[in-house]
Amino acid sequence: MSSEAPSIRLFFREAIARALAEEMQLDPNVIVLGQDVGPFGGSYKEFAGLYEQFGPERVRDTPVSESGIIGLGVGAAAAGLRPLVSITYMDFLMLGFDPLINYGAKLRYKTGGQLRAPLIVKTTAGAKGQGVAHSQCIESWLMSVPGLKVVAPSTPSDAYGLIKSAFREEGPVVYIDHKRLFPTAGDVHIHETAVPIGEAIIRRTGHDITLVSHSYMIRVALEAAQLMAKDNISCEVIDLRSLAPLDIECLGASVARTAALATLEEGQITCGVGAEIIARLQETLGPLKAIRIGALAAPVSSNPVLEAACLPNAARVCSAIRLLLQSG
Amino acid sequence: MLYKFAILEPVEDVHDVRVLEWHGAVLRAFAPGDLMVELETHKAVIEVRAGQHGILREILCRNGEWQKLGEPLGILSDAADELLSASPDGLAAWEAIFEIT
Repeated sequence: MSSEAPSIRLFFREAIARALAEEMQLDPNVIVLGQDVGPFGGSYKEFAGLYEQFGPERVRDTPVSESGIIGLGVGAAAAGLRPLVSITYMDFLMLGFDPLINYGAKLRYKTGGQLRAPLIVKTTAGAKGQGVAHSQCIESWLMSVPGLKVVAPSTPSDAYGLIKSAFREEGPVVYIDHKRLFPTAGDVHIHETAVPIGEAIIRRTGHDITLVSHSYMIRVALEAAQLMAKDNISCEVIDLRSLAPLDIECLGASVARTAALATLEEGQITCGVGAEIIARLQETLGPLKAIRIGALAAPVSSNPVLEAACLPNAARVCSAIRLLLQSG
Repeated sequence: MLYKFAILEPVEDVHDVRVLEWHGAVLRAFAPGDLMVELETHKAVIEVRAGQHGILREILCRNGEWQKLGEPLGILSDAADELLSASPDGLAAWEAIFEIT
């Protein structure tokens, strides 16, 4: 990213809207499809202004039919358009797995490269009081799909940069934001392709342990790192930004320095993001001192007490880090 | 007496606000109920009205600028000729009424 890129402070939703407006201005083939993306401006107002600026032909409200609209998006992409399909809750992305995975991700392979599906499926993950079917983080389910890229910003600047980078891809990209990120604001570096897909970033340097996370959990990781610093334990916090592909080089270089690794995710640790990271790093670095931190093995309740009990927080992260560092 | 004007009560999910528009310049006198400023959050606008009489003496966050919730937006005083202090720290809290629209 250019250090000379101007920056402007924006709410998370504004960063998304700005990136989309710029891309729609650049390329008349970019369209936006989804529930409430039109005059309503999106469930989090992340599409605000697009309908007024680009009209109903390019910003289209759709029915509640995840499989249908993702299939529509795959077909439109194969025909030459560049759609962004919005799936309001990541939980319901499950309904669109067939068109996304069996058609979108495999199209290049099935046609020997003659057809491609350059679409973005944008979805919002995470728990925020909305119960078992509106709270899930299932990004790890997508990481193993050949032909699919998966990205997850934790800041408004990365939200802006990753959407713009996703529009430069030749195949499908799942872009995952988080409900708890929408109230946040941050400086957004205005740049053509500010955040390359496949590149992690070190959010806090440290030397005692590498703490890897993504999306909203980066905030929890940084809070934990701040608490650990009071005990003179220095955590290096790495924000993945891209889940497929993973930036194994960045992670490996950090773990080679710290010799200890904690992975943190809001989703389940079983077959989770952390499980893949630890497996991949052990293939190159050998046996690792490592621990995975994630949600408890239970659906996330709409009850605030039960929800909080299920999800990782800074205290749990600190306990896990202490346990790891105290072990042999 | 000098007053520090800030949104002190917590607003669910709001940490940062952006000043949308001040409804008055420095030295404007406000009466209870007068609209002072509109603040923008990530999904709503907060209309802030005066909860007491006072005169706007200093705008600490201008239109388009950002502030953390709870941090000062401006300084007011009972009289227009009161000397301003170097810092808003230690000043009495200005009574304000806010409504999320």
